[in-house]
Amino acid sequence: MGLKPLAEALRRGQQPLAVVDRSRGYHRPSGARLAGLMACDSFEPWLSRRTARRMSPASRSAVCAARMALDAAGLSATAEPDGSTAVCLGTSYGSTNYATDLLHQIQDPGPLGISPLLFMETVANAHAGQIALAVGATGPNLTISQREASGLLTLARGADWIRVGRARRVLAGCVDEVSPILHAILDRFGALARSSSTEDLEVARVFDADRNGFVIADGATVLILESAAEAEQRGAATLATVAASARANDPSASVSDWGAGHVQLARRLTGRLKAQGVDLASIDLVVSGASGSRRGDRLEALVLREAFGNDLPVVLAPKAVTGEYGGGFLASAFLALDGIDWAATPGFRRADPELDLTPHAGEPLARPERILVTSLAAGGAACWVVLDRSTA
Amino acid sequence: MERIVVTGLGAVSPHGLGVERLWKGLRSGRTAIGEVNLFDATRHRTQLAGISETGEVPLGAAARRLSRADLFAIEAARQAFADAGLAGAESRADAGVFFGSSTGGMFEGERVFFDNLKGQQKSRTRARARMWAAQPVCSPANAVARMFGLHGPLETCATACAAATMAFESALESLRSGEVSLAIAGGSDGLCEMTHGGFNSLRAVSAQPTRPFRADRDGLNLGEGSGVVVLETETHASARGATVLGELAGAGSSCDAHHMTAPQPEGLGAQLAIERALQDAGVKAGEIDFINAHGTGTLHNDCAEWNALCRVFGEGAGDLPLTSSKGSVGHLLGACGGLEAVVTLLCLRAGEVHPTPGGGQVGPDCPVDLVLDQPRDLPEARTALSLNLAFGGANAALVLRGAAPGASS
Repeated sequence: MGLKPLAEALRRGQQPLAVVDRSRGYHRPSGARLAGLMACDSFEPWLSRRTARRMSPASRSAVCAARMALDAAGLSATAEPDGSTAVCLGTSYGSTNYATDLLHQIQDPGPLGISPLLFMETVANAHAGQIALAVGATGPNLTISQREASGLLTLARGADWIRVGRARRVLAGCVDEVSPILHAILDRFGALARSSSTEDLEVARVFDADRNGFVIADGATVLILESAAEAEQRGAATLATVAASARANDPSASVSDWGAGHVQLARRLTGRLKAQGVDLASIDLVVSGASGSRRGDRLEALVLREAFGNDLPVVLAPKAVTGEYGGGFLASAFLALDGIDWAATPGFRRADPELDLTPHAGEPLARPERILVTSLAAGGAACWVVLDRSTA
Repeated sequence: MERIVVTGLGAVSPHGLGVERLWKGLRSGRTAIGEVNLFDATRHRTQLAGISETGEVPLGAAARRLSRADLFAIEAARQAFADAGLAGAESRADAGVFFGSSTGGMFEGERVFFDNLKGQQKSRTRARARMWAAQPVCSPANAVARMFGLHGPLETCATACAAATMAFESALESLRSGEVSLAIAGGSDGLCEMTHGGFNSLRAVSAQPTRPFRADRDGLNLGEGSGVVVLETETHASARGATVLGELAGAGSSCDAHHMTAPQPEGLGAQLAIERALQDAGVKAGEIDFINAHGTGTLHNDCAEWNALCRVFGEGAGDLPLTSSKGSVGHLLGACGGLEAVVTLLCLRAGEVHPTPGGGQVGPDCPVDLVLDQPRDLPEARTALSLNLAFGGANAALVLRGAAPGASS
């Protein structure tokens, strides 16, 4: 819970992995076993046990993260009831634990025995709704689901809302939970890191020549977005400024994998940033959403190479530590901007000659002024956000 | 601020493929709600829904990994692009996709899951397992972007019954900001056993064809399908000589922050969404000519919606012609806002509001001016409101305008 354990994991380059429950029969015998699981059975003081019992694991994480963010921002735990506080939350799969339980109920005892609570929490926007209920946020309430790009898309959309006045304050972020069935399905699709014939170790080898998949993780990250003027007026410490964002799609992507449209994506990235007055030459550091996926990392590397040419700055790959989906990636981007110590990319051993990209190797990093955060999703969606370090 | 115009419409609904069949069905005053045939509905408390047919787009092998919701979306998008005169790939390559969905390919996911539980033959299970790829809620939007070769932003709004309406809001922002000059917006959803059983567990489903805003209303019927529009900046439409069908004048949204499954009874959240949409459009409440209501037919929704209308429109609320498309096609969940935006534009184009099927008296707790029995002529109607309220307390509203008489770009 909180940013400190995440910062420590990034500093040490340690993936907090645990064995997934394989007792329900969804997994192949030789399939993947590990995931980044939250080792937390109490959410107090952010959420009482009684309230937590009425929520899915994803909703619990989301509400806790929202309350922690409000607290860290020096804001009241309850929003003003004037519709000015919005929620924009991303999720890739929602509560797959509750969805599985609901499907079991449909089978036995049958549809007449379905629990309304389970159903309510399987709806994709349940987590954003629970945040709104918990903090009294009566502004726009949007859930974005675009697989691996969900979290970063909420940051871009939330910033848009502030700019055009749809909200004065936005709780933006993402949440996901690991369930045995989601883990098993992604493994069957060959998406997850797995042991090799020479090594009994499931590690996300981001950008490595031998990468063979990502590690999924659960958890949530919520950020508070507001205008610079608003933050200044209330004397808030500003963590970062959203300088620009870009969104795109790669139609060459298949249903469940990444495509090969790096030229078009890079063109879209540079064009959109330029339109917002941001030159890629001003980027000090890239916080990459690469995860260890074979095709995803390839596309990411080729987009960065196409966009930056020979001037690619240091590339951090936090998903080598945080895993995919859980929100840790989004929080890592802000930690990178804060200038924390950052270990060499765990799992990276051998550069892929096709990618020509070696992620951060552990050398001391100067505190960046401006970073580019990237997310390319299976299925084609892409999002990039440029964050500036606050001068306040 | 540049106007955002509508230049193409597409629909897959329980009335059939295409906007003409939809409009004909709506005008007839008959309901397209019938027996559920996708799964064994006899095990459920109720057995009715609005079932749609999938399109006939020649997709070949690619169709094997597409869900019903994907196919609805692709067919509706194909119609909308054709309607907009954007059949050529080059003409639409930079378009953004803003889609609402609630269940995505859950129906197909369920089939795989139940096969596994029943210990079906491995070959059959393996064949169906690839359908899991289409299970995520973003699958319909991805399918549209992929099939039509679109490179612009791709955003799936998964805000339950307000999803597609919020997708319009996102599209509007991206168009106004200059991020894109062309977008396809709407929603697509397929019926699945989880939502049918889930809404039944909430006792929200009627065993009869739904009767929105009636005194004896007792719940909704689910539905499935897709409603899609092509949006573009007026400058872009003008430059290519497109025919303007209408205008997305404004959008607004809010959250009740009251209850996960019940609307705020006084309609405070819905009021805020409507007021924001009106403000965004620069339209006064008195300029609204009719309303396409969320109108689910549940006791609580229709009453809360009426209260919201009273708060916005005052004493005139009861004089505003109002219809509920859900009475005719069912509740399309994440897609309902897409289809209802299409319907609202069709009403504006025709100068008449379609009737809400079913008999019975309007409820004393929601005494709206419900259009009944036959279409109501509104030849002077220029501006309309489409409203959607969702699980989790989310509310979203659109202000739509018809094309000026004789308008082209």
